[in-house]
Amino acid sequence: MKIWLLSDYDHRKHLAFKSMLARFSAAFPDAAAEFCVKSRRSLWESLFAHLRDPKRNPLADIIEIPQNWTELFSRLGLLAELSSRVEALGQKRYPDFILKELCRNEQTRAFSAPWWLEAPALFYRPAALKGAVSDPESELASWEGFRSALDRVAAPSRRRGARALAVPGSSGSVSVADVLPRVWGRRGGLFSDDFNRATFTREETAGGIEDWLELASSGKIELFSPDRFENGPQPAEECAFIISSRKLAGRSGLKMLPYPGYPSGGGLMLVYNLSVSASCQDPAGAAAFVSWALEQRNLASFTESFGVFPCLKPVFEERLRDEREAGVYKRLFSAPELKPNIMVYPTAELLLERALWNLSLKIARRDYDREDLTRELIMAQGEADYLLSLY
Amino acid sequence: MKKNGKIIAGVDTGQSFYDGRDAFLKAALESVSGQFTLDAASFYEFEEKSGLLRLRHRHASGVSFEHEEDLRPAPGSPAARALDTLQAVTAKGLGGSFLYSPFRFDYCDPAGGRGVVPCFGLVRLERSPRRRGFTAPEAARADAYLKSFLRDYYKAEFFSLHRKYDKNVAAITELTEVFATALRVRDSFRHILSGIQTYFGFDRVRLYLIDEPNRKLKGELSADIRGQIKSISYEEIPLEPGAHRFADIVLGRSSGAFMERYKDCVLYMPLSVQGVTIGLLIVDNLLSQQRIEPQELAMLKSFGGQIALAVDNSRLFDKVEELSLYDELTKLPLRRYFNQRFQEEFYRAERFKQPLALVWADIDYFKEVNDTYGHQIGDKVLKEAGRVILSNLRKIDFPCRYGGDEIIILLPQATGTEATRLAERLSQELSELRIPVPFSKARELRVTMSIGISTFPADASTMDSLLEKADDALYWVKSHGRGKIALYSDVAEEKKKAEAAGGTNNAPAK
Repeated sequence: MKIWLLSDYDHRKHLAFKSMLARFSAAFPDAAAEFCVKSRRSLWESLFAHLRDPKRNPLADIIEIPQNWTELFSRLGLLAELSSRVEALGQKRYPDFILKELCRNEQTRAFSAPWWLEAPALFYRPAALKGAVSDPESELASWEGFRSALDRVAAPSRRRGARALAVPGSSGSVSVADVLPRVWGRRGGLFSDDFNRATFTREETAGGIEDWLELASSGKIELFSPDRFENGPQPAEECAFIISSRKLAGRSGLKMLPYPGYPSGGGLMLVYNLSVSASCQDPAGAAAFVSWALEQRNLASFTESFGVFPCLKPVFEERLRDEREAGVYKRLFSAPELKPNIMVYPTAELLLERALWNLSLKIARRDYDREDLTRELIMAQGEADYLLSLY
Repeated sequence: MKKNGKIIAGVDTGQSFYDGRDAFLKAALESVSGQFTLDAASFYEFEEKSGLLRLRHRHASGVSFEHEEDLRPAPGSPAARALDTLQAVTAKGLGGSFLYSPFRFDYCDPAGGRGVVPCFGLVRLERSPRRRGFTAPEAARADAYLKSFLRDYYKAEFFSLHRKYDKNVAAITELTEVFATALRVRDSFRHILSGIQTYFGFDRVRLYLIDEPNRKLKGELSADIRGQIKSISYEEIPLEPGAHRFADIVLGRSSGAFMERYKDCVLYMPLSVQGVTIGLLIVDNLLSQQRIEPQELAMLKSFGGQIALAVDNSRLFDKVEELSLYDELTKLPLRRYFNQRFQEEFYRAERFKQPLALVWADIDYFKEVNDTYGHQIGDKVLKEAGRVILSNLRKIDFPCRYGGDEIIILLPQATGTEATRLAERLSQELSELRIPVPFSKARELRVTMSIGISTFPADASTMDSLLEKADDALYWVKSHGRGKIALYSDVAEEKKKAEAAGGTNNAPAK
């Protein structure tokens, strides 16, 4: 049994999966299982390569995918139906906000099983804020408050290249993963509510993207950071603020707040699912592994290992109860939203990714202008609209 | 790819087989990590234009993984020096000890192009701060070890380019055959689209053809990434400047910035034959957003002429076939085509035990019309009769100009009553026609039809007898004053009565 795992900036995820797989192999010595960690781009290419030439490009039996890839790849016939084989799916043992985007057009069938989720949040170091922010809870609730605090707060480290704000999940450039939480915070999105048109240039969406780009153009975050290349991600103790979707509170004296701009809580959650490929020779065996991975003990220890939340309702609720920052997490999960699971959404993200890449290069070359953003978004929106007309 | 076992600077790199580039990178990083007791090893590609290093693969804590990260080495940093000099550089910093081992290969384009395909980057070997750094001899050995692997990486890349080239050659051969043998429109368009998909595997291929009389670009077929083909005949684009992007392309107008943006994953290919544009082929990777390789673009462009010819040939073939199967005057199928369909419909009726009616119609006094008013008027009568018939039939009905002024209509799943109802409607509409006749006192001509009907299985059990019975019924009408409709069963009844009464039937005048 071959498994494709999505790559993560946090290496603990890979190690956690390796150890989970070792437990699986110990429990089921006859079931040979191996895994391979694929980047998002590589996984995307592999899935399309399979569509083009299934014999030359076989799929793994089990594939971890972002939740909102489900509709696309199930419609392209790559994913097997799981609700009849995975009990948790059949019984819908998931929180409602996850179920809502699990099968947008299907009530009875499901082509992937939600596995783990992460919620972007703001972490701050109280000691670093002294004299600059008197009431973090209220001052950092809005984006404007956070942004103004960033101007007043210096990095706790004097090391060259150290910055007050760190974004450990950054890929070097400004990416979709960076901007979407802010876009959501402004009540923007990539498509209109009825999914009939792309809304990249809508004020809320463009404004959210601009907010994040401004962090880069003003030097609050460094793009393509040489320091990161030389020394790896900035250590938590050198940061005044960290924007991360992993649990960091309690470590290195950091405190947690909801993502700026969501004063009442809620916001964008990122969910990752396990799927079984439609070409799998042993779908029952693969589904059995998915069921096993979703068992309370396995799911709890896997997600705890790299600071994320389990998707299964009882495990999720238990984790929320036990959480040190339960208050903040309860606010985060009070009105959670997921990326729409529609066929063209993953491609729309790629279009936006390309626009952001172009803009990142311009910012790095110091020749970025607000007009560039408008132009890129108009182009990307045109392409997304065209896609909507086709699919 | 095969990795030959050899000793490089005292280190045996072993003998291994790798299934693809990613498997190779994984094996290389795992191997070097094991040989030199590393904490991590990373493979970066260097993009000279942007000066960015793109992380592709990393091995750390016993796990290999792909990852995406684009970072810039600081000017003068060890990594930058390694890239500048193409020499291995060691460094020690807060994060530990590092060895940067650069590589650079330039491939000649195996397709014979002038360009080179660069492969430039570095491998970073890492040890944590608590462990010893890289000594000079150890760094040299590790660099040599990696270089040996990377030579195979070079080979792997080169073979991969060659494989692509071979695939393209195969595509040229087979697609040429497909295009050359595609004859009928319905089949040939399918063959062309599925041929393109088999070899290129685009997200979608769409074919549009110009409908010149209506000045439209009409959708024909679309093939998706899984090779499924569907009709897009519902797509019609006015062929006017500015009406649609596709229209502008076909009309040779500028595509603008939006098209520029698309050029990596869409190809719009106008199809021209002898300088005349006949349609548009569009291939795209819009859903996957994957780049269409320049080589693929070039190949498809070179196929453009052949595709256009194949499309044009098949349209011509269909036109010729249409001329041989249909009567140009009445637009009704000819006898040859009818015989084929009659057989099919008769078998179907037999197999599914469904009724089948046959209507045999004859325009009354047609010979006199020709003799009196000339063949031009006779042709006009036939043309109008054809129009009336075609406008009154169901989709499953099949009319035919059987010869001269004789017309036969097959009515599947129709009883005698239903066939009579249709015949009455035809007869009524035809009798209401006024055909202008110049240079004649009457000024206009009215025509009527005599119609005989037989049905399966009520009147006949074979094809021949079904025809014969309809002819009998028609004969009966002609012998009883013309301009009427007779059902064979009624005629048979009449005949019986007449025979019983000792009478005879009058022969009609044709």
